[in-house]
Amino acid sequence: MSSAVEHSTPGHPVNPSGFPGPIERSPGFWRQAWQQYRRKKLAMAALLLVAWLGVVAILAPAIAGTRPVVCKYKGEIYFPALYYFNPDWEPVIFSNDKFRQRYPKNLKEKDPESWAIWPLVFQDPYRRIENNEWDGQKGNPTGANGVPSLRNLMGTRQDGVDVFAQMVHGTTISLLVGFVSMGIASLIGITLGAIAGYVGGWADMLLSRVLEVVLCIPPLALILAVQSILEKPTIWHMMMMIGCTGWTTIARLTRAEFLKLRDADFVLAARAMGLGWPRIVFRHILPNALTPVLVPITFGIASAILTESSLSYLGFGVRPPTPSWGALLNLSRSSNGAMWWLIAFPGSAIFLAVLSYNLIGEGLQEAIDPRLRDAGK
Amino acid sequence: MLNYLLRRVLIGSVTLLSITFLVFGLIRNMPGDPAQIASAEASLDQAIDPADYERMRKDYGLDKPWYEAYFVWLGNLLKGDLGRSFGKKEPVSRLISQRIGPTLMLSVTSLFCTYLLSIPLGLYCSSRAGKPDERVISTSLYMLYSLPAFVAALLLLYFFSFKLQWLPLFGMTSDNHKTLSAWGKFKDITWHAFLPIVCYTYGTLAYYTRFVRANMQEVIRQDYIRTARAKGAGPMRVLIRHAFRNTLIPLVTMIGLSLPYLLSGSIILEQVFSWPGMGRMYFESILSRDYPMIMGLTLLFSIVALAGQLLADVLYATVDPRVSYS
Repeated sequence: MSSAVEHSTPGHPVNPSGFPGPIERSPGFWRQAWQQYRRKKLAMAALLLVAWLGVVAILAPAIAGTRPVVCKYKGEIYFPALYYFNPDWEPVIFSNDKFRQRYPKNLKEKDPESWAIWPLVFQDPYRRIENNEWDGQKGNPTGANGVPSLRNLMGTRQDGVDVFAQMVHGTTISLLVGFVSMGIASLIGITLGAIAGYVGGWADMLLSRVLEVVLCIPPLALILAVQSILEKPTIWHMMMMIGCTGWTTIARLTRAEFLKLRDADFVLAARAMGLGWPRIVFRHILPNALTPVLVPITFGIASAILTESSLSYLGFGVRPPTPSWGALLNLSRSSNGAMWWLIAFPGSAIFLAVLSYNLIGEGLQEAIDPRLRDAGK
Repeated sequence: MLNYLLRRVLIGSVTLLSITFLVFGLIRNMPGDPAQIASAEASLDQAIDPADYERMRKDYGLDKPWYEAYFVWLGNLLKGDLGRSFGKKEPVSRLISQRIGPTLMLSVTSLFCTYLLSIPLGLYCSSRAGKPDERVISTSLYMLYSLPAFVAALLLLYFFSFKLQWLPLFGMTSDNHKTLSAWGKFKDITWHAFLPIVCYTYGTLAYYTRFVRANMQEVIRQDYIRTARAKGAGPMRVLIRHAFRNTLIPLVTMIGLSLPYLLSGSIILEQVFSWPGMGRMYFESILSRDYPMIMGLTLLFSIVALAGQLLADVLYATVDPRVSYS
């Protein structure tokens, strides 16, 4: 701790208690929590796994795709793989030169000088690879023949689309669903919980009624109903719906924290100093109330991923061209169970993601709750 | 207590009104109405006569705006009439009573198994806390808890029904069910229900075991446990008589909270196993825009959810003398 050493040098503030020697700065709350968290091997492994999923999601076009990550074409450098993030990001020159989504042959034919860095696996998450699209690579098998092989690491779907490419590109969806929907849920939950806890009285009464209504409707049923109302349901609608149904625990915990802190001494001091309520709520109470809410948010991410995959399995989630783990499971249904790779790979991916978030939540709970922290020793 | 109950029931009915009003508005605004779907099914190639279509809409009560229709529905409900299903042309209450049996069969059996297994397991884990076998059990239970039930269902179906062909692939009965003897019928249904019950049970089993264990861990640090040990009570006696009895309160309240799941079933598991229960009926009614069916089921789900919360609170006050609502 270098700060402790600095304090002892002359010219710096002296310990006000008059006690000789440097002030021993005790580690802050978050540092303590982190030290606690780090000790749990499983929770650390889970954190690494989630970080790894994030890396896979970001690098997805470089792992599996049919577009060069970087290429030089007619004297210019392009990044055609960005197409997988947003179709509008594909350089216009390739559609003008009539590439028609087939890069390897066209690049060589139309500009012999060109070079390209290709993704690790030449497979597309949206379409079947045909014979000799890539020199010497055979076309993808279709139907129940798409057993996992060196060419198709996790097999293919009935229509010949590579499952590995779909899995890699589907990572984005599962991460997005978790974070966006829980972001919405925490925004709603923290706001409502804070109002109910701070204002009390009628606001508190109103919140508990709303909570009761939301708790009464099974979330999956409500989301199914809403997804079928919309003309063109997108993944964003689904995330909003998951967020709008998943905020109850967060609101309850925030409310409890606000009720407790509203009468705490430091809030009283802040009020005595003449601070307005926005400052008291946002600067003084909220930071202290947020910690316990982190745990249900982490568990909420796990359940959001679960809800997304269930909905996609039922055919009400992510729409077909978008790759998603749950949608792959849905396809296994029409194969009557014959294509085990359509169950095993997406199933284990969903399982691992849910498990990781649960483990992180658990680790967090033990790291930030002083009662449990001492219990571990 | 009576006062409290009355107040809760009153508040509950207001909640019910708002839920049904909300859901009614929601489903009536879904695109495509049952008349359209029915006519599309009836005549795929020939266009439906506009007059027929209007008549059908009138039969279904779709000619009125939805808030008016809601009060018609509410009025009928007060007379004890849930309406008739559009698709199956039968009273909703009769259809529900047909489907409730299969769902209860799965959920009650599964709840029974859960309690039967989770309490001994939880006690075992807390008595051997920190030992290798406890670590193995706890870790595997945690993994099971995180394994989505429908993924497990698909995997189990693949192994036991498709590969090994030991268990039936879907449904509740075999094709020759009607010809079987009473014992044969029972065996047939048990055979079909085996995998669904396993999938229903393992998740809650893991959850309840962890719940029992967590409660035990809290209690076992109390002073009276130390006193009991100091007095020379045996480990089993301390564990069961002194510690476990004090963890019963949260366990009892859990029964109340699990009530809604008993009745509503699981949409996704019943879909995977093609099990003719409540969850599947709800899914089918959403697909076919069967408004009276959806409303009837929503009403039922909400009532049991509210009743479950109330039951949990009442049980809490009953088993814990420190809690009172008067």
